[in-house]
Amino acid sequence: MNALLIARFTLKEAVSRRLVLAAVGLSLAFLVLYGLGFWFAYGSAANQAANPTNRSAPIFASTLLTILGLYAVNFLASLLALFLSVGAISAELDTGTLLAVMARPLGRAEFVLGRWLAYVLMVAIYVTAMVGAVLLMARVMADYTPGDPVLAIGLMVLGAVLLTTLALLGSAALPTIANGVVGFSLFGLAWLAGIIEWIGGAAGIPTMVNLGIAVSLLVPSDGLWRGASYYLMTPIMFALLPAGRQFVPFASGDPPAASFVVWAAGYVVVCLVGAVMVFRRRDL
Amino acid sequence: MFGFLGPNGAGKTTTVKILLGLVHATSGRAAIFGQPVDRAESRRAVGYLPENFRFHEWLTGRELLDFHGRLAGMGAEERGKRIPEVLARVGLAGRGDDRVGGYSKGMTQRIGLAQAILHRPRLVLLDEPTSALDPIGRREVRDFIRGLRAEGVAVFLNSHLLSEVEMVCDRVAIVDRGQVVAAGPLAELVGGTAELRLELDRVDDAVRALLGRFGRVFGVDGRQVRVVLADGRRPAEVVAALVAAGVGVDAAVPVQRTLEDVFVGLVEGRDG
Repeated sequence: MNALLIARFTLKEAVSRRLVLAAVGLSLAFLVLYGLGFWFAYGSAANQAANPTNRSAPIFASTLLTILGLYAVNFLASLLALFLSVGAISAELDTGTLLAVMARPLGRAEFVLGRWLAYVLMVAIYVTAMVGAVLLMARVMADYTPGDPVLAIGLMVLGAVLLTTLALLGSAALPTIANGVVGFSLFGLAWLAGIIEWIGGAAGIPTMVNLGIAVSLLVPSDGLWRGASYYLMTPIMFALLPAGRQFVPFASGDPPAASFVVWAAGYVVVCLVGAVMVFRRRDL
Repeated sequence: MFGFLGPNGAGKTTTVKILLGLVHATSGRAAIFGQPVDRAESRRAVGYLPENFRFHEWLTGRELLDFHGRLAGMGAEERGKRIPEVLARVGLAGRGDDRVGGYSKGMTQRIGLAQAILHRPRLVLLDEPTSALDPIGRREVRDFIRGLRAEGVAVFLNSHLLSEVEMVCDRVAIVDRGQVVAAGPLAELVGGTAELRLELDRVDDAVRALLGRFGRVFGVDGRQVRVVLADGRRPAEVVAALVAAGVGVDAAVPVQRTLEDVFVGLVEGRDG
């Protein structure tokens, strides 16, 4: 019960501090900009389809535009996930607001869990709404039909939850700024590893592939996006791609391994339990 | 009314935090109302006002109290009745819907006191409740604390302000560098240690020996000497004995020792 009380309080905090207002405003601006870009870029590609050598241009264009847009959504969702929880505990400690709250009959685990539930809810709503909006625009303007949007949203939500939980663990152990630096660095590292793995795969260098896989096990956020990107592409697109199915450096031509998704889910659980354990030991 | 007195850095705040489970004790055990402090339940009947605390500035006073009331396990009906009551009690009746971020220091302290007594605790822990306040604010807080005593609420007051403890507390513990150096009812700590300041025509070994029969002799300075009288000894007896021994008494001033004298004597006595 107490955890739900903290979750409710955290949501109210996000609204009161105009975090929600800012996120909604910027997201709408992003969607408008994206919609305009899609309209003009796809229109130009559709015109080229009249030329017999360029029959597949609209398919490539709509896929590229959609995947690019969703890649940007994933990036924004990752930042939101990190920023939401970067000071979940440490900022409360710094301002001294935590003392009176933790002096109530409220367990440390309940506080951490309540925070986490609120962050999970917020990133899940954000990812679902934004991916839904981008896919809807692609559908209306280019009749774009992704392979499995529900599975893709699930994987993207898992990626954002993973980052928010990682930052929650960090906020139990580190000062807010240090936690932000560490969280963002790990996120960037995962992104870089994804690129290295892609280049390694394209150029046939197994060491690079293995390096990329190792890092993506350490921080699975980028790997989850790649998994999601597979389900966001259309079956027609895969039929047009050459063997190996490499499309662009930030998307994957293969579905995610089930074991990787299980690993990422376990990662979230370990971070959450770790956050509780670290916060329990902490002197306030 | 229990006063926990000590210089800065003596461990007063740490002690309170240990009692609330906020800080882990490196050794020993602590319990509140028979429940070990590492259990959240031990804090149910306890109110706490932290030192230099801040509250979430984006909440209004009423929302803050509502949040704390929920955390303390109060039902909706109880909160609806009790919140206006405590707001009025601390003099914030008209300001409950203002944001806490806009409160002055005095108002912040008052909303802090309001949240500490909101759930009708049996014990209230106050950590330096007047340190940020002006003299009028201090008096208001003292009156507030006395009001709690009238209601039968136990108060644990942390302070380095001796006068404050002296004014409101029945029992006192003096702590220095993590150790309790004296504890007991205030009257016992302060009383029984009356001091006599004398100015005589001479202070020699014979006079010292004579005075030594009545208490501890110290502070000899020319013809002046001070005596901490032993229990039951009265200044008149000392003067009579001096006169009988042919010592001229120019002045004899009895001084009631204050808590400050006791405190400074105890804390300084431990130095070196």
